[in-house]
Amino acid sequence: MLRTNRDKLLIMAVQGEIVSPSSSTYRAQWDGQPKLALGMGGIKYNLKVGDPCFGWASGDHVEPGVTIRGTEKPNPSDCALAILACIGNEAVVVSGEGKGAKGVFTGRHAGADDIVYFSQGDLEKLAIGDKVQVKAVGAGMELLDYPDIRVNKCSPRLLDSLGVEEKGGKLVVPVVKEVPGFLMGSGIGFSSNTEPVDYDIQTTDPKAVKKYGLESLRLGDIVSLKDQLCVNGRGYYKGAMTIGVVIHGASDYAGHGPGVNPILSTMEGRLDAKIVKKANIADFWGLK
Amino acid sequence: MVKTNKASLLEIGVIGEVTHASVEVPYTTGWDGKPTVSMGRGGIVYNVKPGDPCFGWAWGDKVEPGVSLDGVGSDNSKGSFRNFSCVGNTAKVVNGEAKGGAGFVVGKVGYIPGGGHHVVAHFDNETLEKLAIGDKVQVRSLGVGLNFSDHPGVRAVGLSPQLMEGMGLDESKGKLVVPVTKVVPAEYVGQGSGGAPSEASNWDLMTQSPDAVEYLKDLRLGDLVLLKDILSAWGRGYYEGGSTVGVVSCGASDRLGQGIGVTVIMTCREGELLPKLDADANISSYLAMGGD
Repeated sequence: MLRTNRDKLLIMAVQGEIVSPSSSTYRAQWDGQPKLALGMGGIKYNLKVGDPCFGWASGDHVEPGVTIRGTEKPNPSDCALAILACIGNEAVVVSGEGKGAKGVFTGRHAGADDIVYFSQGDLEKLAIGDKVQVKAVGAGMELLDYPDIRVNKCSPRLLDSLGVEEKGGKLVVPVVKEVPGFLMGSGIGFSSNTEPVDYDIQTTDPKAVKKYGLESLRLGDIVSLKDQLCVNGRGYYKGAMTIGVVIHGASDYAGHGPGVNPILSTMEGRLDAKIVKKANIADFWGLK
Repeated sequence: MVKTNKASLLEIGVIGEVTHASVEVPYTTGWDGKPTVSMGRGGIVYNVKPGDPCFGWAWGDKVEPGVSLDGVGSDNSKGSFRNFSCVGNTAKVVNGEAKGGAGFVVGKVGYIPGGGHHVVAHFDNETLEKLAIGDKVQVRSLGVGLNFSDHPGVRAVGLSPQLMEGMGLDESKGKLVVPVTKVVPAEYVGQGSGGAPSEASNWDLMTQSPDAVEYLKDLRLGDLVLLKDILSAWGRGYYEGGSTVGVVSCGASDRLGQGIGVTVIMTCREGELLPKLDADANISSYLAMGGD
């Protein structure tokens, strides 16, 4: 049993509102072609964690389920929701027709968006502008026998679901894919805060997408990032290892791609990944 | 002589002003969790110039050599200053005590949306002494739209004819040969990824991992470098076989994923740019900067 300080974690309410889908004028793809992108913000009735990262018509950075944002500060990234909510936390609708519906927090997308799963039945009742409250627990979590491993945005529920093993002084985490560090792009460096920011597995180069088998990635997948350190920000560090959750879909913009929220990271080689066929939060928690 | 469409380029005046020294937060957090007071971004840095080292400045973080300018007024006019100023363009002080002082654009730095952007300019010491924060500087923008007639696979990005003609470009077996001080592998290339347009701001070479620091330690501000497997055509990203040539425009950083700034000047998808290592490939050798 992995020893943690979970009995000392504060459990706090943080809140956001369901936002309108993002929309903008055409933006240049990596190859110069224009694109009218969709899939960020709003309520996606037919896109959930467990679904593919690639292939959605005109989709770019698609966010599964419902997108909410904190509102108590001008920048959603500075709000308590963005910083304290952890993947696996329980969410509940607190206004509107869907009041009382329960969901799961599934990730934070750096620009502005916090992402929540609700069942199909509950989605039908939700409206843009409804308030969603998350019972935030996980920030401050420590692995008592692995003090070098930084835990980030990981609820106790997620930690318990990962199926980690302790082997030869290392923590071994099942993942669906190991991503080479040089593929990590947008979001890298961005800020010294680890919590409110994801960063992207770059899908600019179709050759690289094929070579590293990225097409099979699903929203909610657990992946490892080689030579990547996410302790105070995100960046390259030889020998470091980061485990993360895929929180949004692929992109045609240069330097962008499926977004990853780091959940475990160390520079000291005490973290290892084991490739498995399935490691996805939708499967862990039966989210359909 | 490398053939270009230089005669078709528009020459446009764009205006900016001398910025304040930038203090984003009271203490910045280093990659290892250590706090520091970061300095050297924005404003007037009197004692750092192209040719000086990227590392070693006390509490320096992304140190910008000389004078940091930004556009003024609406987002459109700021955008014109950021996107149209090209490395190597001439810059002239148009008001204040330093009025008439002439210099050069030597780099562009910035990335985080809303986090500011600087066009970095070199002026001689006499002009620097007279300059004040807030003074207006007009740049004669020339270079956007430049292309190489015999190298359609190469995209010039904010490259001025002044720099292009000074940097000793050559041609070999259908490729464009560019003198650079270093070829940098993609694994060291960090912040800047995903940013657009390529004409503004920069890439960062990450300076936290000891192997990266060792590899990059001799880099000087103003150096020309080639980033391997990096494409900066319509935004910035990883692309196997591509390359990006840029000018080192700011110094090292302790912040994770950040570091030495590289302002893009050329890029290609399929290896059309060929690096030639040359320890003197620095804009201080290429532009008639004058003074010290």
